[in-house]
Amino acid sequence: MSGPWVEKYRPQKLEDIVGQRQIVARLEKYVGEGSMPNLMFTGPAGVGKTTTALALAKTILGEYWRNNFKELNASDARGIDTVRNEIKSFCRLKPVGAPFRIIFLDEVDNMTKDAQHALRREMEMYTKTASFILSCNYSSKIIDPIQSRCAIFRFAPIKGEEIKNRLKFICENEGFEADDKGLESIVYFAEGDMRKAVNVLQAASVEGEAITEDSVYEVVSKAKPQDIGKMINSALMGDFMGARNILRETMVLQGTSGEDMVTQIYQDVSKRVLDGKMEASIYMDLIEAIAECDYRIREGSNPRIQLEALLTQFL
Amino acid sequence: MLWTDKYRPQNLSQVVGNKKEIKIITDWVNAWKNNDPQIPLLLVGPPGIGKTTLALIIAKEFSEYVELNASDKRSQDVIKSTIGESSSSRSLFGDEYKLIIMDEVDGIHGTNDRGGVRAIGEIIKTSKHPMILIANDFYSKRLQSIKPKCTVIKMKKSRWNSISALLRKIAKAEGVEVEPAALKEIATKSQGDVRSAINTLQALSDKDGVLTASDVENIVTKDSRSDIFNAITGVLKSKTPAHVKEAMWIEEDPTLVMEYIAENIPREYKKADEIKKAYDYISKADINFGRTNRSRHYGYWKYASDFMGIGVSISKHETYKKFTKIQTPTIFGLMGRNRGKRNLRDKITEKMFEKMHVSSGEAVSMFPYLEIMFQDDELAWEISEFLGFFDEQDEKDTEKLIKVFRKKKIPKKVITKMEKRKAQMHVEERDRRAEELKNQMMNIIPEAEETSSDNDLPFEIPGVEPAEEVIEEELLEEEPVEEEIKEEEKVEKKEKTTQTTLFSF
Repeated sequence: MSGPWVEKYRPQKLEDIVGQRQIVARLEKYVGEGSMPNLMFTGPAGVGKTTTALALAKTILGEYWRNNFKELNASDARGIDTVRNEIKSFCRLKPVGAPFRIIFLDEVDNMTKDAQHALRREMEMYTKTASFILSCNYSSKIIDPIQSRCAIFRFAPIKGEEIKNRLKFICENEGFEADDKGLESIVYFAEGDMRKAVNVLQAASVEGEAITEDSVYEVVSKAKPQDIGKMINSALMGDFMGARNILRETMVLQGTSGEDMVTQIYQDVSKRVLDGKMEASIYMDLIEAIAECDYRIREGSNPRIQLEALLTQFL
Repeated sequence: MLWTDKYRPQNLSQVVGNKKEIKIITDWVNAWKNNDPQIPLLLVGPPGIGKTTLALIIAKEFSEYVELNASDKRSQDVIKSTIGESSSSRSLFGDEYKLIIMDEVDGIHGTNDRGGVRAIGEIIKTSKHPMILIANDFYSKRLQSIKPKCTVIKMKKSRWNSISALLRKIAKAEGVEVEPAALKEIATKSQGDVRSAINTLQALSDKDGVLTASDVENIVTKDSRSDIFNAITGVLKSKTPAHVKEAMWIEEDPTLVMEYIAENIPREYKKADEIKKAYDYISKADINFGRTNRSRHYGYWKYASDFMGIGVSISKHETYKKFTKIQTPTIFGLMGRNRGKRNLRDKITEKMFEKMHVSSGEAVSMFPYLEIMFQDDELAWEISEFLGFFDEQDEKDTEKLIKVFRKKKIPKKVITKMEKRKAQMHVEERDRRAEELKNQMMNIIPEAEETSSDNDLPFEIPGVEPAEEVIEEELLEEEPVEEEIKEEEKVEKKEKTTQTTLFSF
């Protein structure tokens, strides 16, 4: 009776956090202090930004952490006004039973620039009573004034060995057999993303009694959007409109993000060349285009447009 | 005060140009006045030539008028509730006619004003009152069903010399000195738009100096802004940079223009290398929009505009000699049709944010794995329970949420079984905690009593603290059982009467 393992096995204390030793060591120094600078955690998904923020808040705020901690989803559709109002009403009150209050804002890079500028004011106004922890995937998408108000911590992808050990620990706890190969293949797919690793593990546990290489592959191929291959085929055959329609449907219906799409496209194309279904020279051209697209998605304003442009490179 | 308002014509004879059209309108008004109902008038023509002014002048001929324009939300209901009632019935007191003015009919928004056009059609059919409809674009799709039911009056642009004459009158009345050449310059630059001509005159006039032609020349006055369809056609059909740039000079959200161009590239361009090249320019335009958003420096827009305008236009080898219908981006339709699905998704990501601290993007990337996990009946129930799917008011909503991850419902048998198991676990957990707490209390008490005999201040007893800490910790670990623990606490208090003072603060 546990629900998702990613939540069940989320480390609750700073010392339990996997990877990120140096960051944690640094953060531990803030414990017991009367104040804490505003922090910004940047790094890819699933490397422990939120976990660290929660653990830090619990450690610093102690037993009354729930009363003095607020978590906000900055990219929430409810808009910046709601976020600001919530920040305001939260910061206005004095901390109770704790040195100060902590606000954790997730996905700040998805906030509009205007919203970020508004946030910057809020950060200035309540320095005495509250500290901010911001989290984002790309600090480049955060306006400079906010960056300059924060101590920035870069979270690196978690090392394979560390992920593997954690997975082993979970398996033992849940009473699942897992062979080494199976765990290693999870580590390979996870690419340093602990959340993904644990999700694959739990999904694979549904498939059978033991976690093997096969059951992992089964999960990974099932979890992949089915239409990516179809889309690439259409584009390769010169049917741009067809490919574009699949792309739009996938993104709108399944809500797949632009970054996920690029990764999926990359994996699909890679598999083609590994299976000998695509010439190496064509592959290299495509990789160049995919790499450029990946970069442009971060630079541009509309990931879908960039992906449509990528599809034209397959024609 | 705006001169356009100050010098707005007050009667038909003051209106500039369009004499023939005005005659038709006068006849129409007179017919109504003689109790001879007429079909509605549809005034069509470019902006700033006096359509609304005409309607307002006509309104004076009637006892009352109702007006709606594009800034109103014009869904079917709104139109029916504001006009519909009054349109089909006439006042009980006297038989005076009410004039109905519908401005900017072609601006009715496709999705926001759902059914708006149909509602207008119905009102036209049932109306017992005079009605004037106003629109800019004669060829607008939204006018198609309305046109046959109306007397269409195409209003022409005013000629530069009549505009110039009007400007001279205004200048005189305002006491500003303007060179005749300057008046001509303003009049021609306005391209028949009287309103913009008057606005320009007001903007440039200086009480103390003479307005010269060169003053006017140096200022960009009215640009002939084309609509989005002209812009797209310009980009796709032309290869001349000057042409394209002019076509791109429109008052629209540039990212919307980009969507339109992108949508129509593969519809117009047929060769792969053309599409590739054109789309690469679109991609570059998007990058510049990204830079604009990031830096809030709108100077990047001009590059974006050139990339998606001139860049796309020169991506073709030759201009295609065929007619391509400019399409609205399919992505809008797709998003509209799937609003329900997306709302459901948002609801789930919100629940996941609350329970699992994941952002919406991360939540969505977990969906495929959840789908696999949901294949297992028991795990499906567990996760649904964990995410609070069962907290929905309506059971149907819960089912909808579960359906996002699995087609079949969770079998009733499994649900009852899991609910039982959960209740069982609850009881066990509570008993375990109670037991634990009791043991701890027992350990402390002898110690506490010992010290209290030494010291007369019970609240300073150090030995009590661990017990309190335990309680708090457990309170925090699991919220749902919070109340039960408190109950336990009370029980403990009653049992250990000697300890009450310690708990009372």
